[in-house]
Amino acid sequence: MAQTVTSGTSPEGLPPSYTYKVVLLGSMSVGKSSLAYRYVRNDFRELLPTVGCSFFTQILQLDEATVKFEIWDTAGQEKYQSVCHLYYRDAQAALLVYDIANKQTLSRAKLWLEEMEKRFLPDEIVIALVGNKTDLAAEREVTTEEGEEFARTKGLLFMETSAKSNHQVNDVFMAIVQELLKREKEKASKPFLHGRSTVELRASGARMRCC
Amino acid sequence: PAALPSAPLGFTDVNLNSRNTYEVSRRRSAPEHLPHGGTAPAEPAPPPQEPAERARHRVGIAGSSFAEFFTRNFFTKRTKELKPAVQSAPGWKLFGKVPPRENLPKDSKIIQQEYEARTGRMYKPPPPSARRKNIEFEPLSTTALILEDRPANLPAKSVEEALRHRQEYDEMVAEAKKREIKEAHKRKKIMRERFKQEENIASAMVIWVNEILPNWEGMRATRRVRELWWQGLPPSVRGKVWSLAVGNELNITPELYEIFLSRAKERWKSFSETSSENDVEDAGASVADREASLELIKLDISRTFPSLYIFQKGGPYHDLLHSVLGAYTCYRPDVGYVQGMSFIAAVLILNLEEADAFIAFANLLNKPCQLAFFRVDHSMMLKYFAAFEVFFEENLPKLFLHFKSYSLTPDIYLIDWIFTLYSKSLPLDLACRVWDVFCRDGEEFLFRTGLGILRLYEDILLQMDFIHIAQFLTKLPEDITSEKLFSCIAAIQMQNSNKKWAQVFASLMKDNKEGDKNHSPAPKT
Repeated sequence: MAQTVTSGTSPEGLPPSYTYKVVLLGSMSVGKSSLAYRYVRNDFRELLPTVGCSFFTQILQLDEATVKFEIWDTAGQEKYQSVCHLYYRDAQAALLVYDIANKQTLSRAKLWLEEMEKRFLPDEIVIALVGNKTDLAAEREVTTEEGEEFARTKGLLFMETSAKSNHQVNDVFMAIVQELLKREKEKASKPFLHGRSTVELRASGARMRCC
Repeated sequence: PAALPSAPLGFTDVNLNSRNTYEVSRRRSAPEHLPHGGTAPAEPAPPPQEPAERARHRVGIAGSSFAEFFTRNFFTKRTKELKPAVQSAPGWKLFGKVPPRENLPKDSKIIQQEYEARTGRMYKPPPPSARRKNIEFEPLSTTALILEDRPANLPAKSVEEALRHRQEYDEMVAEAKKREIKEAHKRKKIMRERFKQEENIASAMVIWVNEILPNWEGMRATRRVRELWWQGLPPSVRGKVWSLAVGNELNITPELYEIFLSRAKERWKSFSETSSENDVEDAGASVADREASLELIKLDISRTFPSLYIFQKGGPYHDLLHSVLGAYTCYRPDVGYVQGMSFIAAVLILNLEEADAFIAFANLLNKPCQLAFFRVDHSMMLKYFAAFEVFFEENLPKLFLHFKSYSLTPDIYLIDWIFTLYSKSLPLDLACRVWDVFCRDGEEFLFRTGLGILRLYEDILLQMDFIHIAQFLTKLPEDITSEKLFSCIAAIQMQNSNKKWAQVFASLMKDNKEGDKNHSPAPKT
C-alpha cells in the first residue's frame, strides 16, 4: 500500500518506515490549505487561494513505524476538477473537507466521495470526512450528527476541526496514520495476496523512488 | 589619522548625505510615479502630503514591492525629522558609554589618543590596503571599545597580561574598523546602484514617452525598442505599453464594460436577496450554479495579494477588483470566474485605469494559451506541457532526466505559474517584468520564464526528490532577484533543431489530430 516500504526487510530493531500520499479535496475556501498549514507548521494565517496544487511534507516518528506524509493540497474550485485526477491518483489517503458553516460544501464533499469510489477500491485508500471551521459555531449549517452519520454509512473516518483555533487537526492525521498502519498489519498477515497487488501497482506506473 | 574628521560627526554627515541623495533621486524620478492618462476614480487631487490611497496607487504604478515603497517613504520623512535631532544627540546612545554631544570632544579619536598617551604607544594606522582613500568618515563602533584602567582597589595586572590585553585590544579595534569600512563600501555601492537604476528608469521613461509611444506601430518591433523593452518597462508607461501590446481584438469599449458591470451588479443584488433560499440540500446543479455565480469571486478577492492590504474588504481596490472580475463573468459566461484570475486582474488594476484594466484583462484571457488554461481544457494543456518539455530537454537535459526519473510532470508546477502568469509565484515587481516581455513575445515567454526558473535553481533541484521539488517549485524562494532570473531566462534558447516555439507547438497539435484515436488525451493513470 505505501510507496516506500521497508517493513519486513528493515534491519532488526528499527521500526519500518512508510511514505503515504495524502490528498486534500473539497470546495474552495473550506480550509484545505489551512488544515495542511496548521498540521505541518502549527500556524494559521491568511493563505493565497491554491492554484493547481501545493505540497507539504510531515514526518512522524511513532513507536511502531516512521511515517512520512506527502500532503497534496489541491485547488478547490470545481472548474479544476478535470485536472484534479492528476493529483489524487496513487493516493493512500484522502481528506474530504467541508465547511460546517456552509451546507453546500458538504454536498460537494459527497460528490468527491462518489468520484473516489469510482477510482479506488475501498481497501486502496483511507478516506476521512472532515468538517472544518468549528470556530464558526454560531454560523453552523451542518450538525455534527449529520456529518457523523454520513461518514458512518460510508465507512469513512470522521472528525470536526478548526485550523484556526487548532482543534483536532493533529487528531485527523493521527487517525489516518492509525488506520493506514492497521491496514499494513492486515496486509502483512496475508502476504501473498498483497505481494502481487504491490507489484502490479509499481508496474502500472506508480512513481519509482529511492528510499 | 589626524586628517580624518572626528568620528561621530563624520559618520552622521555621510549618513545624512546619503539620505539626501536618496531624496534627490526620488525627486528626480518623481514624474514617472505620477499617474498617467488620468487618475483612478474617486481619487483626490494629489495633496502635498500623500494620503494612503495615493501612496497605494503609486506603489501599484511603480510596480515595486509595497514594503520597499514604505521604506522609501519613511526615508524622506525621517530625513526631516532627524535633522534637528542630529544637532543635539546623534544616534549614539547605542553604545551607552559615549558621551552626548555636549561633551563631544571625547570622541573615539580622542579616546584613542588618550589611550595612546596613557600607554605610551602610538596607534599605527592599518596598512593602506585595508583603508582605501576617499572614505570620508571614521568607523564608529570602535568607540565602544574602551580599554579602561583597572580600578584602583584591585591588584595591578601582570606585565604580560597587560601587554596581552593591549594587543588584543589593538586587534579588536583593527578588526572592527576593517569590518565597518567594508560595510560602508557595501552601503555606498547599493546606494550607487539604486541611484543608477533610478536614473536608467528616468531616462528610459523619456524615450518611451517622447519617442516610442508616439510612433508605436512603427517602432514596437525595432531592435532598439525590443532591447529597451527587455530591460523592463518604466512603471509610469508600463500599463500603457501593456495595453498597446495586448491590443483590443475584442473591440471592447469602456461603455461595454459599464454595461457588463451593471449586469454583474444586478446579479449580485438578486443573489443576496435569494441566497437564503439557496441552501437546499440538492447537490449537483445548485452547487454548480453557485460556483458560476459571482459569489465565489468574493471569496478570492480578499485572498489576492493579502500582503498589500489593498484588495481586502475595506481596502481601496477591493471593489475595483470585484467589479472587473464580475463584469468579466458576465461578459464571458462560457469561461466564468476561475481561481487564479483574481491575481491577473489585480496586477492589471495596479497598472491601469478600471476600464482599461478590464479591456486588457478580457483580451489577455482571450489568447489561445490563456483560454486553454482558463477553460481547464486538459488536452490542450497537455499540448502546452509537451511543447514545454521539448525545450526543457533541449536546454536543461540533466534536470530533465532527473525530473523524468521521478515521473515529475510539468503540470505539477506549470499550472500555478501559467494560470497566474507568475504573479502569485514571483515577487510582484519581478512578475511585472515577466509580464513586460510576455506582452512583447507572447505565450512563448511564459514557458521560457519557467525554464529560466528551472535553470536558476538547477543545482538545488538536482539534489531533491519528487515531493521536495514539487514543494520548492510551487513555493519559490522570496529572495529571487530580477538580475539573476533574467540572465537565466536570456540563456534559455527557444530553438529546437531550428524549430521555434510556435512551430514545435503547431506540430504537436498536428500529431494530435492525426493520432487522435491512438493517443487519448487522458493522462496516464
